[in-house]
Amino acid sequence: MGMTLAQKVLAQTSGKPTVLPGEIVDAYPDLVMSHLASWRSIRQLEQVGVDRLYDLNRIAVVLDHRSPARTPEDAGHHQLIREFVKRHGIPVYYDVHEGIAHLVLMERGHVLPGMLILGTDSHSTIYGALGAFGTGVGFTEVTSVWLTGCVWMKVPESVRVVITGRFPPAVFGKDLMLALIGQLTANGCTYKSVEFTGDLVANLSISERMTFCNLAMELGAKCAFVPADAVTEAYLAGRAKRPYELLRPDPDAPYARQVTVDASALTPMVSCPHQVDNAKPITAVQGTRIHQAFLGSCANAKYEDLEVAAGILKGRRVHPDVRLIVTPGSREIYLQAMRSGALQTLVEAGAMLTNPGCGACAGDGGSLGDGEVCLSTANRNFLGRMGSRTSQIYLSSPATLAASAIKGVIADPREFLA
Amino acid sequence: MAPGDVVVAEVDTVIFHDLSLYLTGRTFEQEVKGQRILHPERVVIVFDHFFAPATEEGARILQANREFARRHGLPHLFDSGTGNCHYTAIQHGFIRPGAVVVGSDSHTPVHGGLGAFATGIGNNSIAALTLPYGTAWFRVPPTIKLLLQGSLARGVTARDVAQYLVGRLGEDWAGYKAIEYAGDLLPRLDVEERLLFPLMCIDMDAKAGYIEPDEAVAAYIRQRTAQSFELVRNDPDAVYESVQTFDVEEVEPQVACPPTVGHVKPVTAVAGEPIQYAEVGGTPGGRLGDLRRLARVLDGRRVHPDVRLQVVPVTREVFRQALDEGIIAVLHDAGANIFPASSGSNQSTNMGALTAGQAMISTHTRNFPGRNGSPEARIFLASTYTVAASALKGRIADPREFLE
Repeated sequence: MGMTLAQKVLAQTSGKPTVLPGEIVDAYPDLVMSHLASWRSIRQLEQVGVDRLYDLNRIAVVLDHRSPARTPEDAGHHQLIREFVKRHGIPVYYDVHEGIAHLVLMERGHVLPGMLILGTDSHSTIYGALGAFGTGVGFTEVTSVWLTGCVWMKVPESVRVVITGRFPPAVFGKDLMLALIGQLTANGCTYKSVEFTGDLVANLSISERMTFCNLAMELGAKCAFVPADAVTEAYLAGRAKRPYELLRPDPDAPYARQVTVDASALTPMVSCPHQVDNAKPITAVQGTRIHQAFLGSCANAKYEDLEVAAGILKGRRVHPDVRLIVTPGSREIYLQAMRSGALQTLVEAGAMLTNPGCGACAGDGGSLGDGEVCLSTANRNFLGRMGSRTSQIYLSSPATLAASAIKGVIADPREFLA
Repeated sequence: MAPGDVVVAEVDTVIFHDLSLYLTGRTFEQEVKGQRILHPERVVIVFDHFFAPATEEGARILQANREFARRHGLPHLFDSGTGNCHYTAIQHGFIRPGAVVVGSDSHTPVHGGLGAFATGIGNNSIAALTLPYGTAWFRVPPTIKLLLQGSLARGVTARDVAQYLVGRLGEDWAGYKAIEYAGDLLPRLDVEERLLFPLMCIDMDAKAGYIEPDEAVAAYIRQRTAQSFELVRNDPDAVYESVQTFDVEEVEPQVACPPTVGHVKPVTAVAGEPIQYAEVGGTPGGRLGDLRRLARVLDGRRVHPDVRLQVVPVTREVFRQALDEGIIAVLHDAGANIFPASSGSNQSTNMGALTAGQAMISTHTRNFPGRNGSPEARIFLASTYTVAASALKGRIADPREFLE
């Protein structure tokens, strides 16, 4: 029997010709990403008194949470990490001004099809946008892999999501994912590998594929993939740090489940407080008053996302009772949006443009007071995630966010993107 | 009236930032009970400290401020991302020659550079007198005249001269006096550069700083407000407590070293001191002229890998203009990180915390121990040029080598 992408990557990285779902393997990850949590691993290394790392070339450190430092503790952790990186000569390191770790590592060509990547961030599933097996781990796991190079893993079963049709106007990858999460629920794919396929996926941009694989985490997925293809190759041209193969699933690979989605039938979606799977069509929540709109996060602060929002906000003003915070996902995105004029448009509309990074999604600003409502393009809306326990977070696409920022209430973007 | 007289003056503009409004608003409602604000249209509120609150506490403060403004019908609230409180007030036309401007921010005297009488007063005074009655009481200060003569040497800016004066004259030199700046240096400077002198008069303990407004100031103000104003001139027989002359030609770039603003040295005396953070921002550092100066030094160069360079424009308009001029692109290419228009790392309310042993050089106004996090961190204050040069070198550096 053939293998799914998850099986292939785990077979490859554990030195086996084949592996089966449910099997436990000792895999050697190609890359271990850690952000601010790196300081905890560094302290653990000090505790165990070992300082020789398995393979420096498999380590990536990116400071994206708490950038810049707002407390002396943060500043001290950043400094500890910088000294560690320097002392060991870790080659893949990006400091606080570069952006969100996931996006930076993909933009700079460190993420390639077929790689196994661990990250100290639950949305590490995003690396599947380039055909890599990405998954989140805790910092103790990172410490262990830094030292031994190895991690044990149970080979996940796979779920195939076949997407047909085309997106109607004002409907985007985010809407599809919120609808899917609403349908399958937050534990619909627990410890599964989610493979996206179908006509729509074949032509989908890497930016939208990132949104797919990022949000797959909210289905409980272990990892997610859009199988690498010509679109992937085009994205990686000039970026890839080394040669790679376009790993594809076998035609007879085993899937535990197949789900079919007709994109043509979708409408803009909004996830309502306090669970991502509490997803509703825009028509059910439009008119809800918002105080803040946050365009940011690894889910939807990519260049295409800023362009979509700028397209709607061009020549319009943010509603006076709404604070629009725009946090580009990375420096590359910031510069690209600057050259295209999108940043100018957003600022003229009244947005507060922040430095690239995780921003309000990771608590670096944009905190909410009692009873305040935030519409966000991020990937989580849990109770109290952005401040007061009586505040509320709704999640949407950048288009819905822009329309709502103008109206001051959750609004249907189709009015602006007919 | 004469120096020493106590007067009650009509206040034209009251400036609040988010922290001062929060405290003043509470006092006004809880202790000055039953009063209404006499002139809501004279109150300018700018959220520049908690510009994007990272904590729930910060969010609550801003929320309380928004509700206070709504309850009292205060029409001029500039929310997060608009800018630094002083430059937002200037940008939106609230400062005019001859105006009386108060605020509880100690650097309120900056507006004296536009021909206003401007000074910082306590939150309680504002709550008890200015808000309900539209007035403030003052003892008329005696005035000292400082004549600044000559031209600035290469790599030297108004910041360096203003800082030099603080170091030379001392932190308590002008206790409750007004300083009037004059001399042939001033007409050679653009209006925003002149503002550095009254801004930093507070570092000599002055009550206010003042520059007699000229046509350049009038033109600057007219670009920002349609309201009429009079260019108040000094009487020919005005009496000064003393007149002192300084030749500025010999002034070098200056650095205020820890632990106080008066501990000022020429850059050559502190060059080589390692730094981890550099910031261009705040009332004296995020103006368009500063961003241009910064870009001039950074163009085609890279910030030292051990340094985080943070850039904080003073207003959204300045950021937009800098975008248009390609300055933001130059700064990004050099490795700078650009933040929303605000007070930036001032007091590390929202950013800019330092841990023990770290050092920052910035264009901000204060370097007291513990101002930005750990009391064992060190803060150096300097001109935009010096901050830029230091960011490139990773150490405090003389900017003149980059300004051939």
